[in-house]
Amino acid sequence: MSIAYKPDETFRDDFVYSNSDTAILRFPFPFIEDEYMYSVNIEPHVRGGETGAFEAVFDVDEHYIAECRERAMVLEQDPNRCMVLPHMMTAQWDTLELIMESLAEDYPEDFTLEKDGDAWTWTNRPLGIKDSFVFGDVDSLPLEPFEYITRQAQGDFTLQDQRENNLFMDGGMVTTQADWSLEFDLGMSFHEWHGPVPVAHEINVFDRALQYLLRLQYGNPVRRLNWTMTVNPRLDTSPENYPIWGPDRTTLTPENIGGKLHLRVELQTLFRLPRSNAILFGIRCYLASLDELTRVPKWGRRLHRVLRDLHPEIAEYKGTTRYREMAVDYLSQFDDGEPTSPGIGPDVESL
Amino acid sequence: MIRHDPLMLRVSRIESLSPTLRRIILKSADNEPLPVAGPGAHLSLTLASPKKVYRNSYSVVSFSGDHYELIVRRVEDSRGGSAFVHENLKEGDLLPSTVPLNLFPIQVGSRKRLLIGGGIGVTPLLSFAKVLQENGDRFEMHQFVREDEKAVFENLVQGVGSKNIHIHTRRPKEGEIQALLEEQPLGTSIYMCGPDGLMAAVDEAAETLGWPENHVHREVFGAAGGKPFKAKLAKSGCELEVGENQSLLEAIEEAGVPINSLCRGGACGACMTSLLEGDPEHRDHFLNNEEKDSGKLIMPCVSRAKSAQLVLDI
Amino acid sequence: MSKSRPTYSPLYLDKTGKRHLIVSDTAEIPAEALADGVTPDMFDERWTIAGHSKAIPGTERGAVADHEFRSMNHLLIALRRRLGEEKMGFRLYAVGAEGFLWEVRTAAVVVGMGGGEVQLNQVGSQARRVFCNHCRTITEGVTTNIVECAGCGANLFVRDHFSRRLNAFAGFQVDAEEPGDIPEIEEIYR
Repeated sequence: MSIAYKPDETFRDDFVYSNSDTAILRFPFPFIEDEYMYSVNIEPHVRGGETGAFEAVFDVDEHYIAECRERAMVLEQDPNRCMVLPHMMTAQWDTLELIMESLAEDYPEDFTLEKDGDAWTWTNRPLGIKDSFVFGDVDSLPLEPFEYITRQAQGDFTLQDQRENNLFMDGGMVTTQADWSLEFDLGMSFHEWHGPVPVAHEINVFDRALQYLLRLQYGNPVRRLNWTMTVNPRLDTSPENYPIWGPDRTTLTPENIGGKLHLRVELQTLFRLPRSNAILFGIRCYLASLDELTRVPKWGRRLHRVLRDLHPEIAEYKGTTRYREMAVDYLSQFDDGEPTSPGIGPDVESL
Repeated sequence: MIRHDPLMLRVSRIESLSPTLRRIILKSADNEPLPVAGPGAHLSLTLASPKKVYRNSYSVVSFSGDHYELIVRRVEDSRGGSAFVHENLKEGDLLPSTVPLNLFPIQVGSRKRLLIGGGIGVTPLLSFAKVLQENGDRFEMHQFVREDEKAVFENLVQGVGSKNIHIHTRRPKEGEIQALLEEQPLGTSIYMCGPDGLMAAVDEAAETLGWPENHVHREVFGAAGGKPFKAKLAKSGCELEVGENQSLLEAIEEAGVPINSLCRGGACGACMTSLLEGDPEHRDHFLNNEEKDSGKLIMPCVSRAKSAQLVLDI
Repeated sequence: MSKSRPTYSPLYLDKTGKRHLIVSDTAEIPAEALADGVTPDMFDERWTIAGHSKAIPGTERGAVADHEFRSMNHLLIALRRRLGEEKMGFRLYAVGAEGFLWEVRTAAVVVGMGGGEVQLNQVGSQARRVFCNHCRTITEGVTTNIVECAGCGANLFVRDHFSRRLNAFAGFQVDAEEPGDIPEIEEIYR
């Protein structure tokens, strides 16, 4: 099925952005039950499941072209949003191979990869790119391989090197992040880069997650969903540009909150890379407004309950303090107190 | 590339390198591209003889897009898998395999790598040496072999094209390993694979000279058998006989009791099982000394029993 | 090994090591930086910073020796050279201000030293180096919870999040959401 791209969408200034009915129904709603707490909620990243977002290795949707353009703009203004330490070159090629092969297999109408030994030709029809290069030869591509391919994918990516029984974030392409800085965190160990996350350290979530990831096997990727909230459909909520987007949080009113406040979901995927033994971490961002999500009755009820009962420290960390009460009040109209079914599925087939 | 186990491989070529060494070339049986095997990766092959099914892990010596190269030594007192490869395996045979797993990768951050191998332990080190040489990384390799196999091993390392590979046709002399380690620059890491005696000598020298543990990496292979013993599975109510050429894990699998496993070499921790009774003989590298001494956990892929019987909580 | 802010503890002599070098950013090795029962003379070499332009290290190496340097940079130049020539079994110890410690640690990591081969202990000032996430300038010697960025002038809140690579804590504009809404400034990192 071909994707109806919306190339004119914007994620800044005038914010021309919306989700089609199809996009809403395939939205990876992150709450499996009516309350939320951190857990090691990792599952195999296999095709299928309760949301359409799980149908491909790297999900491509109607926002693809616009998101790639937004990424290019961020990099133009701040090249350090893509940084890779020199010892990660093998992992860069591993990443390029994984993303190209996956996109070509999952979306043959849009992407093609032709190989003749190490001589590869990559065609990206939505972005109008066609390049021939030699796999393993940096000089044969216009950019280093990691930046080259992640400019053509939705969502952020980081590269984790595995050594000394730990993972180190030694590279990344981070332009659509929920308020964390690649430039600051580059080179950090697993516990260091998770340092600012509250509560989870105390319940040993990171110890267990690290032990699990150290054993992640090639060919058996895993995924989890994470979430936060963002005012306006803004992808670049980086610490770097906090002075620019921070004031958005003061613009919410009971009248505009339904259209302006967005649930921001990250589909996080983890892949063991074969040559480098590094881990590629994909952080794919989905945005949907409260008004879009509450068109699914189950999600309206559940979102109200989760936000209402959220652990105060987690609410603070996710930056919701200023508007949480307003959001809970607004959402209460969609919660009739009926029970909700387990799992994340929308329970409806059309809107 | 996302491909799941089992991978179907076809034996494309078998070459006899010496009376006890065979080179096996494996290609894709279904013409699908093969998953990449990085340096240090291994395949776990399912070898089905008429009598018995073996699962043996072999390091991938080289990977070239369309095939994997393995070298298999026929081990005396082998568990049976390597004897099967030498006696029964034919070109054209199909072998189910895992996707390449890597529990012995080259780690970044070292200024120099010292590769030390004994006998067939050369296999993962060959894959390292090729990549290190290609990348221009600093390394030195010492391979200890039997006199009559010198020519075979010289041939094997010749392809790497490095002057830093040394073949020794004897066991290391007293103090030789220590002298080798003593001259290594700060920031060197050891990667070793070979008989227990050799690896113990390296461990001892490294400790004496103040090498931190995390600078010494090893591949452990060839989980040998031992005395037969009984195993009782408390939850499933089975009683098993673990034969001398069989691992506890294999005996559990044969009984049809579900159990996780991954590396099948005592490294990954996947098959860790609670032990209720009995005196274990720990052979793994996963449990720490405290856990081993507690006698409450066992890695059935490699570890056995000192007592006549073990009782497991599965 | 939990969060990103480093924790330090008194230095003990790692007896698994064969040669021990201690470096300090002060003129004397501060006794309070060492664990009970450990004294400066237990280290094979002691490198200190005298802080005047005539200081010059000795030429002897290995034997028990004291070497004086003019400044942190003067010491680091010699240290990098020395680490490049050392053999395995060497142990490095550093005491001083946090900024100095992580310069030393970076020099060690560059030559492939890892985990247990380097010990650090912070003594003296608790002042922080603060990296402005917005303009990427590092403001030195910060003792307050909020500081004006030396680069862009933003009022930075000093987070408890430390980068070993940048050798600095993170700072972000505290009044980004409502300009001028600045909490009370307190001196907390003395």
